[in-house]
Amino acid sequence: MRPTELSRRVLVSAFVLSTALGLTSCGTAEGPAAAGSSAPALSDEDVTLRLTWWGADARTARTQEAIEAFEAQHPTIDVVGEFSDWSGYWDKLATSTAGGNSPDVIQMDQLYLASYADRGVLADLGSLPQLDTSNLEASVLDTGRSGETLYGMPASTTAFAILVNQDLLDELGLALPDTTTWTWDDLTAFAQQVRAKSGGSIAGISPWNNEYSLRLAARQAGEELFTDGEVTISPETLAAYFQRSLDWVKNGAAQSASQFSEQASVAIDQSDFSTGKQAMTFTQVTQISAYAAATGGAKLTAVPIPAGDAGAEPYFYLKPGMYWTVSAQSEHPAEAALLVDFLVNSEEAATAIGTERGIPANPSVREFIAGTLTPEEKQAVDFVDTASENLGDAPQIVPNGASELDKIIQRYLLEVLFERQTPQAAAEAFISEVQSSIDAAS
Amino acid sequence: MSLAELQQLTLRRPKGAPRPETPDDRAALGFLAPWVVGVLALTLGPMLVSLYLAFTDYNLLQDPNWVGLANFEHMLTDTRLHKALAVTFTYVLFGVPGQLAVALALALVLDRGMRGLTFYRSAFYLPSLLGSSVAIAMLWRLLFGGDGLVNQLLGAVGLEVDRSWISDPDTALSTIVLLHVWTFGSPMIIFLAGLRQIPRELYEAASTDGANLLQQFRAITLPLLTPIIFFNLVLAVINSFQSFTQAFIVSGGTGGPADATLFYTLYLYQEGFGAFRMGYASALAWLLVLIIGVFTAINFWASKRWVHYDD
Amino acid sequence: MTDTVTLPAAPSSQTPQDGAAQTARTRGPGAAARARSVLRQAFMVAVVVLALYPVLWLVVSSLRPDGAIFGNSSLLLDTFEVENYTGGWTALGKPFSTYLLNSAVIVAGSVLGNLITCSMAAYAFARLRFRFQKPAFALMLVTIMLPVHVVIVPQYVLFAQVDAINTFLPLILPKFLATDAFFIFLMVQFIRGLPKELDEAARIDGAGHGRIFFQILLPLMTPALATTAIFTFLWTWNDFFSQLIYLTDPNKYTVPVALRTFVDAQSESSFGAMFAMSVVSIVPLLIVFAVGQKYLIRGIATTGIK
Repeated sequence: MRPTELSRRVLVSAFVLSTALGLTSCGTAEGPAAAGSSAPALSDEDVTLRLTWWGADARTARTQEAIEAFEAQHPTIDVVGEFSDWSGYWDKLATSTAGGNSPDVIQMDQLYLASYADRGVLADLGSLPQLDTSNLEASVLDTGRSGETLYGMPASTTAFAILVNQDLLDELGLALPDTTTWTWDDLTAFAQQVRAKSGGSIAGISPWNNEYSLRLAARQAGEELFTDGEVTISPETLAAYFQRSLDWVKNGAAQSASQFSEQASVAIDQSDFSTGKQAMTFTQVTQISAYAAATGGAKLTAVPIPAGDAGAEPYFYLKPGMYWTVSAQSEHPAEAALLVDFLVNSEEAATAIGTERGIPANPSVREFIAGTLTPEEKQAVDFVDTASENLGDAPQIVPNGASELDKIIQRYLLEVLFERQTPQAAAEAFISEVQSSIDAAS
Repeated sequence: MSLAELQQLTLRRPKGAPRPETPDDRAALGFLAPWVVGVLALTLGPMLVSLYLAFTDYNLLQDPNWVGLANFEHMLTDTRLHKALAVTFTYVLFGVPGQLAVALALALVLDRGMRGLTFYRSAFYLPSLLGSSVAIAMLWRLLFGGDGLVNQLLGAVGLEVDRSWISDPDTALSTIVLLHVWTFGSPMIIFLAGLRQIPRELYEAASTDGANLLQQFRAITLPLLTPIIFFNLVLAVINSFQSFTQAFIVSGGTGGPADATLFYTLYLYQEGFGAFRMGYASALAWLLVLIIGVFTAINFWASKRWVHYDD
Repeated sequence: MTDTVTLPAAPSSQTPQDGAAQTARTRGPGAAARARSVLRQAFMVAVVVLALYPVLWLVVSSLRPDGAIFGNSSLLLDTFEVENYTGGWTALGKPFSTYLLNSAVIVAGSVLGNLITCSMAAYAFARLRFRFQKPAFALMLVTIMLPVHVVIVPQYVLFAQVDAINTFLPLILPKFLATDAFFIFLMVQFIRGLPKELDEAARIDGAGHGRIFFQILLPLMTPALATTAIFTFLWTWNDFFSQLIYLTDPNKYTVPVALRTFVDAQSESSFGAMFAMSVVSIVPLLIVFAVGQKYLIRGIATTGIK
């Protein structure tokens, strides 16, 4: 019974070895799709696909409906939907990919697209003829590329906007200035008016604090946040971005630093804007339905952010809400591509999913569902259509190594708002931290 | 032979009789067989792999690259790590004694017996049932937010405060320490179980001899409870150094505001899963093992002076 | 039957009270004792309020419409919505009972596994003398110290190689291999608190280790076993991370995994449904605790009767 000293040692090393080997052999991308030369074809046999997404119960129900519609069209393909919340989703995806067991079709966010694509675990969608990409506008489709290769099929687009609670303004007896021409100073002054008129209890606006807003700030200054894996925003522009929020906190346009910080990590239902303590908020326009529900049906309007000193050069761009990607580990890339094609291009999927994932990236699908939209959804679509008339080039996607970008922005912003760092110092530290994170990953 | 007879026998056996000193290797292997298999098959392998990964650059999606001591060198200049260490040490320093003191005090009160005992015991355990629920994040905001209950209570006694305790970098950590103390249920239960194991006739004898409650506590309860106090202390230190869930839920996974609640394992998790630096995360894990190991060793060493075992 | 270690028939919670009353009598007049008792009750009520408020808030919130949950710290209901319960039960495509059942299976396996294997290992560490005892004990402690986030990936790879992903095996098997060192350590401490004369006497009487363990120590360890069972239940019931990682098919999802998907920072959330299902999922915990705590208390008293 008792193992000898030697056999015990052998046992141990065998386990270590097998585990270590598992790590190395499974981590690499050797899926059929990566091989590339001949395009994979659909199988004659029964195939089971795993489709994964993050999101709450509403998304789950709608996606399950779309899956059923797909299975009805393709009786030999069985699709298992896997869902989880946002943060658990990425833990699970990373672990299962490391274990060589990733789902076939993966919902992907811009923050992570390059992190996965550049490490060879996503399939080249261009090599999969079952997926039709021709319907999408080039500038939208390009946001799914890392380098030249298309890894992510944009599922939806969205636009950065300011949501205004009209009911609240009416109560205060305030009228919004002309938002097609307004400047940052106009916005600040109006936000301060909200504060004054409400006797100090209602904030006008709250600081901006995410990747989309930072990119727009950079582009308004004629810069880009990232160019070819380098952080190219200047410290001055970044410092001004922080400074603007600091000014708002200090001059009453926004809530106090601690009040802002309190709602930084909560769901939109709990935000000051949703609870009627704030009149305007920066957000992606597609969130308007969620905010409308959270405010208990208040009348909301989406208006563009002030154009700043951007001049004549169009700086705005549409951000892909999310992508569909195919795993390079998938044994059925052809069927996976077929499923992605169905989700993005088919009217059946559009009927099931609606605008729950954002405004469909495919214009013909957008047209198809136009008749079924709620007033809020219609407003969002109109806003995107108007914005589309004056778009700049699509920016490069968030580089590999910068997937924590939103958290980093928030962290430095709070350092500034609580006056633990000057905007200038925070800007320099931010750039160096993000740059070294990107360098370490490549 | 019944247990009672056995126990009678026990009392008759003269003290100091030689203990059988034959080694129990064979029996031990039998009793430990599941554990040995578990360690070899499930625990040791992954542990050694993570030790290996600590010396590599490993992003989860590609093969690990050997980088020698680079991960450990990076620790020296990693300011977020230093912040995380400061946060965690502060938490351990205040959270562990705070929670254990509350748990022991309430266990003693409950052990004495009082009206509604069963109800109290269940009620006191409720926070621990909820301790890792998502609802706690919302609840804590409700209590310690800018217009939360705490500030309302302060306002009621004439102290106007609008500080948001939970989101001010100066006070955010204190609210998590309080959350930790509030979930005193588990150590309380263990204390209670330990208290129940103290033979009652010792108390009876003592009170016949006229010892008062305090004397009974110091002469009987405290010494006989020391193995359990020690257990709770060791585990509380180990668990507090690894504390993750509460800060993760309350800060939404960020460790914010401004890294004020960046617990060590939260940072490790962000590095490993958020930034795909699993090699560095593994190095961080082993540094943590080293830190916890030192504290546990100190605990064991010191225990010889105050823990009473019956062997 | 009389015995020396345990109490006679009287319920054990009674005796300490008598002891307290007795001491109080010797110390002063009844009024002071009564004042102390009132004070103690008042203190207990205060602690109970602190402990109970959040739970009541959770229950009350689950009966509110979604929009009325936040910023509302009161415990009074204006409306009474059961929609969160009816809607939440089916919101994730499968009835919520699916997740409850999956959690129950995993919990049952875990409790059984921990009770058997951890107590065995604890007996060896606490009562036997064997080679490599100290290094083995130290190794056991180290396994508690390593954060789960760095071992989960190698462990996942291990289970992936034997095709055990998306089964309950990675969640239950470890418990049958005594990998929850916390409980081994817990029971070691309890066993070391039991009089060693008990097993030595039995040994002199010719009892083997099996008999000593099963017939003498296990009955005396009831409080420790109950603690282990209750904690294993609670922690497994609430464990999110490993269940999230290992289970992929929604048919196999467990309660904590399902609960998280009601709330998503990126899209519309259903807080009401999440609260409602949280309440539903706490009910089994409460029942287990209410039933289980009897054994924490009775421990010593019952062993004497057998």
